[in-house]
Amino acid sequence: MKISSIQQVKIVNRLRLLVLFGFLMFIQMEVFSQGKALFEGRCNSCHQIDKNGTGPMLKGAKKRWADANEKDLIVEWVINNEALRASKKSKRAIEIYNEYNKSPMTVFSDLTPKQVNEILDYVDAEAAKGAAGSDKTKDKGGVNPVEESKEGESGSGYMWYVLAVLFVVIILSVGGVRRQLQVASSGNEELNKLTYWEEIKQLLWKYRKTTAVSVLVMVLSVVVYGFNMLYSINVMEGYQPSQPIAFPHDKHAGLNGIDCKYCHNSVAKSKSAGLPTVNVCMNCHKQINGKTEQQQAEISKIYAAAGWNPNIKPAGGYTGKTQPIIWNKVHVLPDHVYFNHSQHVAVGGIDCKQCHGDMTKQNQTARVTPVSEINKLHDEDDKIIQLTKPTLTMGWCIECHGKKKVEIGNGKNGYYDQIHSRLMKNKALYKEYLKGDQKITASELGGWECAKCHY
Amino acid sequence: MKKSFIQLVTLTTMLIAMVACKQDPTKPGLEYMPDMYRSPAIEAYVDYGEVRGRTDNNKKRLLTALTPPLHTIPFYGKMDSASLAVNLPYQRLANSAMSLSHGLFEGIERSSEINHYDASAADNNPIPSSAAVVAKGKELYTAMCQHCHGEQGDGQGPMVKSGAYNGVPNYKDADRASKSDGQWFYSIYYGKGMMGAHRSLLSKEEIWSVIHYLRTIAPRVEKVEATSPAAPAAPAPKM
Repeated sequence: MKISSIQQVKIVNRLRLLVLFGFLMFIQMEVFSQGKALFEGRCNSCHQIDKNGTGPMLKGAKKRWADANEKDLIVEWVINNEALRASKKSKRAIEIYNEYNKSPMTVFSDLTPKQVNEILDYVDAEAAKGAAGSDKTKDKGGVNPVEESKEGESGSGYMWYVLAVLFVVIILSVGGVRRQLQVASSGNEELNKLTYWEEIKQLLWKYRKTTAVSVLVMVLSVVVYGFNMLYSINVMEGYQPSQPIAFPHDKHAGLNGIDCKYCHNSVAKSKSAGLPTVNVCMNCHKQINGKTEQQQAEISKIYAAAGWNPNIKPAGGYTGKTQPIIWNKVHVLPDHVYFNHSQHVAVGGIDCKQCHGDMTKQNQTARVTPVSEINKLHDEDDKIIQLTKPTLTMGWCIECHGKKKVEIGNGKNGYYDQIHSRLMKNKALYKEYLKGDQKITASELGGWECAKCHY
Repeated sequence: MKKSFIQLVTLTTMLIAMVACKQDPTKPGLEYMPDMYRSPAIEAYVDYGEVRGRTDNNKKRLLTALTPPLHTIPFYGKMDSASLAVNLPYQRLANSAMSLSHGLFEGIERSSEINHYDASAADNNPIPSSAAVVAKGKELYTAMCQHCHGEQGDGQGPMVKSGAYNGVPNYKDADRASKSDGQWFYSIYYGKGMMGAHRSLLSKEEIWSVIHYLRTIAPRVEKVEATSPAAPAAPAPKM
């Protein structure tokens, strides 16, 4: 295929244009990337792009100032808002100041007007990108897959009982009709003399082998069911209650890497690990209000409890009208057992995972994580002690007390230092303790004494 | 017909037995003699005033005696300046605007003219620094702050990296690092900006330990005051 000289010129021109365009894009991106760094470093701790926070949202900030006929003053405002307010040449400056309860913005006297414009351009570009992106995400329908499968599992149990009764009624009535028909067709009066029960007895005797087997099955199932029920008394292993506010541990502790101790913050200080007070939730949820409708519904329950009204202008506020959250208790420690969290976590240095399993993968809190799953965690963390008895039973406590090595005499704990110095004086006893496993375990320091854990 | 009758009966029985064995995870197991589970000793998170729908006002009243009297401080027998400072109530109040923004309603400054945040710049860390204190501060920082503020204090914690939260400042910024220990304490104790009050999570002693640790990663810098022509306006409360 031949290309004429005019076409060649056209192609070259187009290529030149393309290169020029690419170069311009490159420059623009360079500008945006600096705007990004500046925005994240200097502005982002008070300003969000599309949400009012400590300061107003920056999306459309340029337009808002332009609408107030003070297009150029926004740069002055960012660089030194105090000076602009003092100069009284801007109405908008006083407006914003009053809207945000007269809490002034930090003065950024080291920013140049060019940098300020870059920041604002970056923000507008980002906002446009966000608007385009949100249309796409809407199509997917962001439903939280976790919460759905809860219904339909319970509540339908009574249906089976109704069905069973219906079966019996149908069987009996069909049997009655059959008998009437038989009497009418054969004219056998003797058959009519037999009562219903006598006829059934005859029937059962006739098929006595089948009867014997089915009676055996019935008796056995009643016995098995009875024993199962007796075994389940005061055993709550499968208990996994729903909570008034859905709290996915996998999102909080897993995805977002929040330490267990942040929310359960009394774990190293007291007997109880503690549930977070709602102000701890609000430390993050003041900003995070949920992406999907379902998340928003759950988080609005936190707001109701904390007395936070997101509709107060400009960026939401606390009303002071709080209400308690009544959680469903998951773990119940029997009255005759003493268990202290701080003793195990702060003194023993045991990881939460050792007893509760890997909560970063659990959505709804179950009472018990099977010991087999906890043992698997040993692959990732060799501090995890592998046990055989079912979790949260006494045998399991005892087993762990017999295996856990206690670090004595390292100067970290006065109580253990005392024991260490006594053992150093009594070498025979020390040797006896070390016999077999070459370590001092909790059991040797009284971890197997009844009164240590029982009142 | 008769055979199927017997089969039907057997089937029904088995069905009932199977249904009866199914466990509902949202319901606790059967309780027999539940007194072992309902401790007469006071345990946390049990509403003893209300047991199974019965309200016991007597118990509710008794519970109040178990909370320590207001405005009392613990006395451990030693009264050096450090332990006194951490046991006495914090002398700075929350600024008046913090009711709305941080939900602090008790013990706040009523006047909007007085700014306790600025005043707290004069406060010094009452706890002497030592390797043990810094180690303790680091441990607390890892549990309490790191998920937002990042391991290096650069505001790039896992919360920020996952995209759930944004706008966490870098401690090494001249803006933050130029603040005094006292102002850092104030910000942790009452909150600042989007950050909420952390006084319910950390004791005063623990906050000061965290600050000792923070100073090892973000030493205090003198604020480079750029030439600002206008004199600052009348001091106004910051959030």
